[in-house]
Amino acid sequence: MAAVTLTNVVKRFGIFEVVHGANIDIADGEFVVFVGPSGCGKSTLLRMIAGLEDISGGDIAIGGKVINDVEPADRGIAMVFQSYALYPHMTVEQNLSFGLRMNGNPKADTERRVKRAAEILRIDELMQRRPKQLSGGQRQRVAIGRAIVREPQVFLFDEPLSNLDAELRVQMRVEISRLHKELGVTMIYVTHDQTEAMTLADRIVVLKAGNVEQIGAPLDLYDDPANRFVAGFIGSPKMNFLSAKVVETTNSAAIIELAHHGGARLRKPLCETFPALGAEVVLGVRPEHFFEAGEGDCDIPVKADVAEHLGSVSYVYANAGPEELIVEREASRQRASGDHFTVSIKTERALLFDKAGARIR
Amino acid sequence: MRTQNATAYRFLTPYLLIFAIFWIWPIISSFIISFQATRTVPWRFAPTFNWGRLIGDPAFYNALKNTLLILVIQVPVMIALAIVMAVLLNSPLLKARGLYRFAFFAPVVVGEVAYSAVFRLMFSLDFGIVNKLLESVGLAKIDWFSNVTPAMALIMIAVTWRWAGYNAIIILAGLQSIPEDVYEAATLDRVSKLRQFFYITLPLLKPVIVFCAVLSIIGTMQLFTEPFLITERGGPGGGTETLGLLLYRQGFRSLNFGYASAVAYTMAGLAIAITLVQLWLMREPK
Repeated sequence: MAAVTLTNVVKRFGIFEVVHGANIDIADGEFVVFVGPSGCGKSTLLRMIAGLEDISGGDIAIGGKVINDVEPADRGIAMVFQSYALYPHMTVEQNLSFGLRMNGNPKADTERRVKRAAEILRIDELMQRRPKQLSGGQRQRVAIGRAIVREPQVFLFDEPLSNLDAELRVQMRVEISRLHKELGVTMIYVTHDQTEAMTLADRIVVLKAGNVEQIGAPLDLYDDPANRFVAGFIGSPKMNFLSAKVVETTNSAAIIELAHHGGARLRKPLCETFPALGAEVVLGVRPEHFFEAGEGDCDIPVKADVAEHLGSVSYVYANAGPEELIVEREASRQRASGDHFTVSIKTERALLFDKAGARIR
Repeated sequence: MRTQNATAYRFLTPYLLIFAIFWIWPIISSFIISFQATRTVPWRFAPTFNWGRLIGDPAFYNALKNTLLILVIQVPVMIALAIVMAVLLNSPLLKARGLYRFAFFAPVVVGEVAYSAVFRLMFSLDFGIVNKLLESVGLAKIDWFSNVTPAMALIMIAVTWRWAGYNAIIILAGLQSIPEDVYEAATLDRVSKLRQFFYITLPLLKPVIVFCAVLSIIGTMQLFTEPFLITERGGPGGGTETLGLLLYRQGFRSLNFGYASAVAYTMAGLAIAITLVQLWLMREPK
């Protein structure tokens, strides 16, 4: 087990800089998820930790030792690839033991490690099969098994579930979580799926265009995002954003007027970073933070467009002037397209962002 | 459905007719002819005449020995060379990859007569560049066309030069279909590049290599151009005569079509037998 530290890590491909000075501290035994949209640099960061990409600037340390120039095999890591990367001509058993055999590991120890991995992942029955004779989930288990037999200090997962169907993905997610508890080893997991990030991570690193936007525990990111990007990326369905303007300020508070909702106003306490009178701002409200008419501090009339009934909750996609809002309602299973209803926003449940997307608090 | 099929077959008829007349019939006809004595007029049915002669004919065994010798030495060397060329062509370090790819493939599109003439010049005893090079490094020059061993070596060099690049391009396609992350996984497993080649690349290339080997075996069993043009009709003294050349000599010089047909069927039978043995040896484990 080992901590992983990234200090001002930069990655350039030719003249293009794709990771701009990432600083991330991952504690020993922690499960950290790198999440972000395609092209944000999350897989590149993981591959730099693995040693499959050169580091253009900064340092990466594993267990306190800088490993920038250390060979991938000597970094004490094991990686699970998105495409499984199993050796197609070898049986499951040969796949698991290949690395150990190539390195002259004693036969008895190799057998012990392979047996243990097979037991942990419940693939004992599959040992003599070849990858093409396995289902997607079984292949992914073998890929994880190959990582386990290396007994690494750090596990790296590069979008390991993205080739699986929805049901299998949930099942494997639970298994990876169980594996982390069982092995207690540091795990770094890359995904673009924020549900995977929220359910698996001790802490999430949100990346956008090569920059670390925020690092924190899943619910901290959900409740207290640092900016509009994190607020929009974490949470499903995503947060609603309403255009607004600062129309009045007092000594202790500012009045925000929503741009497209008939002059609806909210009162927010002033802070150091509060924009000046007349500045345009954005109000962020999560779907579950719309209340019944009159229950909040400001009511907005909306018109239902489409309703998604998921059983325990329903999401109503509603139009409010030119803005589309997603409203979570327990009672909304009655709502039909074209229905008019009113939602209410509570000041303390609404987040405020400036025009550039930075959080105002 | 039946009407649709009839229409389809009507469209196919011209091709099927040509196929039947120029492919199917000659195959059947030559099989029948192989059981006939064709040096008499009229030809007469004599089932053991050609096949009996074939079994005891020293010229046949000489051609068979030469053909198998070329097959056993040249085909493995050429496939090995093609693999090396393909790996080099696939290297990310290689600049002007397209140019090399073209250069390796170019021998296939060069006319057989032209390339044979150039080879004869290059390996000429007194004027050839090869002997000049040998002399420049202090080695004795070789009379490539008058001695059997150098003449056989020359045939093998020529065939290898002509077909190695072609096979390399096929193997390159196979190489490029191996996913990069398999090698990355092996790198993380501390498997050296050399071992990756032997334990990952070669096994995964096996189907492509088998394909190239089968094509090469069939090609070598029919080898004709090089011994005919480069070593002058299988010279010296039949030392490079192949089955293809024996067939030509019997069929079109001596007009002994019966015997030539028996040789042709023997060549085809041997090619099928060797290919089947190879496919069996290289079969995928269940």
